[in-house]
Amino acid sequence: MDDLKLPYWLGGLVLALAGTALVRDAYIASVVNLIAIGALTAVSLRFVMLMGELNFATAAFVGIGAYTAGATLTILGWPFPLALLAGGIGAGLVSIVFGYVTLRTKGPYFLLIGFAFTEAVRILYSKSATLGGTSGMIGIFPPVALDGWMPTFIVAVSALLILGLYALERSDFGKILTAIRDNENVARTVGLDILLIKIACFATASFAAGIAGSLHAFANNVISPGDFSFLVAAFALAYVKVGGEDSIVGPLVGTVLLVVLGSYALGLGGGEHIFYGAAIMLAVLLLPRGVTGLAGGKRPQAGGGH
Amino acid sequence: MQTAIQLTLTSLQIGAVYILFSLGLTLIFGVMRIVNFAHGHLFAVSALVVAAAVPWLASSGLPVLPAYLLAALAGIAAAMALGLLMYLAGFRFFQRDMVGSFILSIGLVLLLDGMLLKLFGGAVRPVPEIFPGTISILGAAITIQRFALCIAAILITAMLYVALTRTKLGKALRAFSIDHEAAMLQGIPYNRMALAGFMIASGLAALAGALIAPVTIVSPVIGADYLIKGFIAVIVGGLGSVPGAILGGLFVAAIETFGSFYFDPSSATVAIFFLVIAVLLVRPKGLLGHG
Repeated sequence: MDDLKLPYWLGGLVLALAGTALVRDAYIASVVNLIAIGALTAVSLRFVMLMGELNFATAAFVGIGAYTAGATLTILGWPFPLALLAGGIGAGLVSIVFGYVTLRTKGPYFLLIGFAFTEAVRILYSKSATLGGTSGMIGIFPPVALDGWMPTFIVAVSALLILGLYALERSDFGKILTAIRDNENVARTVGLDILLIKIACFATASFAAGIAGSLHAFANNVISPGDFSFLVAAFALAYVKVGGEDSIVGPLVGTVLLVVLGSYALGLGGGEHIFYGAAIMLAVLLLPRGVTGLAGGKRPQAGGGH
Repeated sequence: MQTAIQLTLTSLQIGAVYILFSLGLTLIFGVMRIVNFAHGHLFAVSALVVAAAVPWLASSGLPVLPAYLLAALAGIAAAMALGLLMYLAGFRFFQRDMVGSFILSIGLVLLLDGMLLKLFGGAVRPVPEIFPGTISILGAAITIQRFALCIAAILITAMLYVALTRTKLGKALRAFSIDHEAAMLQGIPYNRMALAGFMIASGLAALAGALIAPVTIVSPVIGADYLIKGFIAVIVGGLGSVPGAILGGLFVAAIETFGSFYFDPSSATVAIFFLVIAVLLVRPKGLLGHG
């Protein structure tokens, strides 16, 4: 296993957590929550990009996580930690079935089927009376003890998962994913079960997306089908592309940058969509390697093969 | 029996629009290997211009039919201009780059969503009837407007099909979608063909928008629903395949119509999704896909 640069990560984490502990303003708290949940979603999206697929079903899995957490807490009455975990596990399980079927396809087919899946799942929520139909679910409250500590909690959980995905990326498993992206058939010749590895990667990323959904549900207390359209994945993609996809720091930088600027732009009365759209277009046209690519110097490897 | 005829006619009407959509998507994918999510906005721009211009022209004293034709010309011109801008400022740099072009198109979708909403407002716009009345075919009733739409779409599809199989331009476009390198070795100018393919596809979306405006309620988000169905149609048929796009369009429309009649519209949409999954399980590159 490579050097994980753990001291830097832990230092950053302690600083971030100390920062959130100081947050008392409700508006700033909501921005911090948005950043943490957005960063986790973006890192999940990037994890599947490691094997060369663009996973638009991320939006569906964030939604499945949020609805699983909401349903287990408010309908089944599960305790908070279990409901939180259930969101991730629910999304992971669905993704194994979905991935088993769809990961046989590649490129545009996989991308478009993920997009269609997001829309189909959204229709299912709005048709289910148990899940509140089109108006959604209410009353998804975290325990009273966490009152006022929600941003710290959300940042901590997101950071833990992001760190976990980072460690996976730097492990041998991550190298296998890169090998699949570069040439799947070569990876197959050394005896790797490509479909199984793809499903493992997809399910891991979907577990993280599901937890992001759980956190979203607990942060907002209210969820509705409209929260989980393909835009969730589109925004996550914007975070990844603006920040730079070469390293895991990219999505983190991109998320902080776009969410803070976006909150500011909303304050000015500008349209959120125009802002994000312009940011994505400028990033892909002018900064193909993102903001972190500007600082990072040379590309770590020749990655122009796709 | 009469229900079956009525439902078949309805599927044909809806299918006609899906076919125009999916032909454009499959043409762009075949030649440039890009996935353009902003395709639906070309359609929306054309429909919005028609919906805004027809009442305006009619109120200045023009009869409805010439007003509609003028508005349709303006709508198609506006959508094609937008298409040209998209190609020159963006997609030109992302040819044969699926992920890059897709991300660019998502940026365009968000940007155009916001801009269309600001320009045209969120309110829906009804278009006055161009051809009033209904006719009956084999006992099933159909409004003349929808019948005209159907005929126009069939004519356009037939013309495109002939153009793609018989003319030099069409053969060049198909050659690129089958084997890009081999086509270049034959000396076919790729950049010109890419532009031609992109503009033909933009034109198809613009025509579909102008045709659909009188028979539906036009709003800035009208493109999204057709886009999803159009993409599902090309996945089913196989990306890059022209007969596949036609087959896929009819398949999606038939399931949607029959499903909506016997169950309800949202179940039909979910059913389409599961059928697509089933098709992909058997043929990961669609029914008629290759390469």
